[in-house]
Amino acid sequence: MAEIELPAELLNKIEKTGPVDLVIGVTGPAAPSELCSRARNSLRDISAKTIVAYAGTTHADSLPCVDTPIQLASFPMPSSNSGAFWLDISTAQRSVLALAERWGARACMVTHNDLAALEPETLRLLVEPVLQSQADLMMPIYVQGKYEGLISKCLLAPFSRALYGRRVRFPLSFDFCAGAAVFKKLTDAGSRAHGVAPLLWPANEVAIRGGKMGQAPVAVHHAVRTDHNDLTAILTEFAGSLFQEAEADAAHWQRVRGSEVVTRFGKSSFAKEDSAAQIDPKPMVESFVLGSRNLEEVWRLVLPPAITLELKRLSRLDADNFRMPDTLWARIVYDFALAHRMRRVSRTHVLGALTPLYLGWVASYTQEVASATSEEADRRIVQLAAAFEEQKPYFVSRWRWPERVS
Amino acid sequence: MWDHVLQALHDSMGRVAARVAQILPGVLAFIVALIIFFILAWIFAAIVRWLLTALKFDQRVGRGSGSLSEISPAHTPTILASRVVFWAFVLVGVVVGLSAFEASSAEPGLAAYVLNYVPRIVGAAILLFVGTVLARFLSRSVLVTGVNLNLHYARLLSTGVKWMVLVLTAAMVLDHLAIAGAIVDLAFGILFGGIVFALALAVGLGSRDLVSRSLERETIRGPEDQHDEPRLRHF
Repeated sequence: MAEIELPAELLNKIEKTGPVDLVIGVTGPAAPSELCSRARNSLRDISAKTIVAYAGTTHADSLPCVDTPIQLASFPMPSSNSGAFWLDISTAQRSVLALAERWGARACMVTHNDLAALEPETLRLLVEPVLQSQADLMMPIYVQGKYEGLISKCLLAPFSRALYGRRVRFPLSFDFCAGAAVFKKLTDAGSRAHGVAPLLWPANEVAIRGGKMGQAPVAVHHAVRTDHNDLTAILTEFAGSLFQEAEADAAHWQRVRGSEVVTRFGKSSFAKEDSAAQIDPKPMVESFVLGSRNLEEVWRLVLPPAITLELKRLSRLDADNFRMPDTLWARIVYDFALAHRMRRVSRTHVLGALTPLYLGWVASYTQEVASATSEEADRRIVQLAAAFEEQKPYFVSRWRWPERVS
Repeated sequence: MWDHVLQALHDSMGRVAARVAQILPGVLAFIVALIIFFILAWIFAAIVRWLLTALKFDQRVGRGSGSLSEISPAHTPTILASRVVFWAFVLVGVVVGLSAFEASSAEPGLAAYVLNYVPRIVGAAILLFVGTVLARFLSRSVLVTGVNLNLHYARLLSTGVKWMVLVLTAAMVLDHLAIAGAIVDLAFGILFGGIVFALALAVGLGSRDLVSRSLERETIRGPEDQHDEPRLRHF
């Protein structure tokens, strides 16, 4: 993990200010004037001594944040030099948490530098439970449509839920609020991995250490471009990091049985209505079929024969009848996690070969929920997560006896 | 006359038998030396493998994205080190055997000749190993990337890349061994150029259809359709 080195000026400021209640850390550069006005507005319902920190080099004392108890501070952002989509965000999130720990804060709200989460309601939902010691970590439930956040819905959330035993909807999020009890755990997370700097999975880290967790629906939309060409890179980064975490935490998750409901704060509905227009599944089915024709040599090294046979059968279906069962998708993900650990094929190739299968699942899902409301689509996602849990014994068995193929 | 023929044959048989009798101890010494060094090689390779496994060598040398196991998952650093030890012993065995063979035969300089050739053989073996591993890795990388870019000729590209690297490796190995230098140069030029030309033609002709199809799609679909289409957001 990159160690945060704070400049003398900032250290003096920390000493002069003394302990604070809340540090709001922006994980990237932000315009100080806008940051100040957004923070002032969003913190109007929270009476807490607050520092708003952002990545940058502007002299904070000269900034126009007067007549408020809020103080601005800039901190140097360590660069991961990776060019990866999420790694820079994770590095900045760790820096913010380290800064909050140094400041002796009771809570730290980490947020994206588009400042979309700096809204009174969002801040109230995420920060208050931590300040009131109701939770060590508050994760957001982004209010999304049925065709949004698909990697989280079909892979990151169900896999994390099955392994770590907490029903967190967005285990990898731009925004979250952590309490002082978990600062150290979160900043140290990942230092156990060799060589590769891992992403920060706050919910999974807190779940391992048995911390109290909560989640709240927030109407925050972060504009992230993920068109088709970026998909493989993003999927590779997220799935690769999650599988790496699974390898590091194998001793823990093999003992976890079932999953716990995470306390929910705020309103219960968190689905956004979509337009009535349909998604055309044909291009995704074509990608799946192309993968089935060409990547069989990799899939055969990763998946057991029964699953490759099932995939062959799926590849012969036409787009309208294309359905990938939840059990099959869960087993595919588990087998890819195992192949990632076993290195039967290069990890880059393992993760690259997952993209056509993921598109196959997306094609199947979009058809299943085409006429469904957002709530119904959400229930479909819960059903998928339950399938991941049901198939966990399969994963545990494969993990312990990888050469034994059923 | 017939007696002379018989005498000549008899003398010839005698000379061959004497020659065989002269060489045989050398051949036996060669085989014995080879067997002994094979056994030693096996024992030392096992010791090295056991030691490195006990020291968790594979984990220590790093299992990051740039490590050997990323390019060739079947070859962990431990397996590679134990194989190097094994083949080093076998090589020493061959040299010792040849030396023993030379001592018991009337052919001087054989061991020295082979010994001088050994570095070339080792270099060629390393080139061959690296070349084949690289060919497989690059071909799979091209295949996976091509499929994820929806290229229908991904398999063709991947095979082309694999054979380009293999042909290049074969030419380098033969050149390193100083075997048929001019012919190899010429054959390599023709083969390599041929593969590149074939790939260029195949990809060029394939892409023509691809580009025209994509242009057709854009023309048929008006800008208002693009706004109406619901978008998938993967993250």
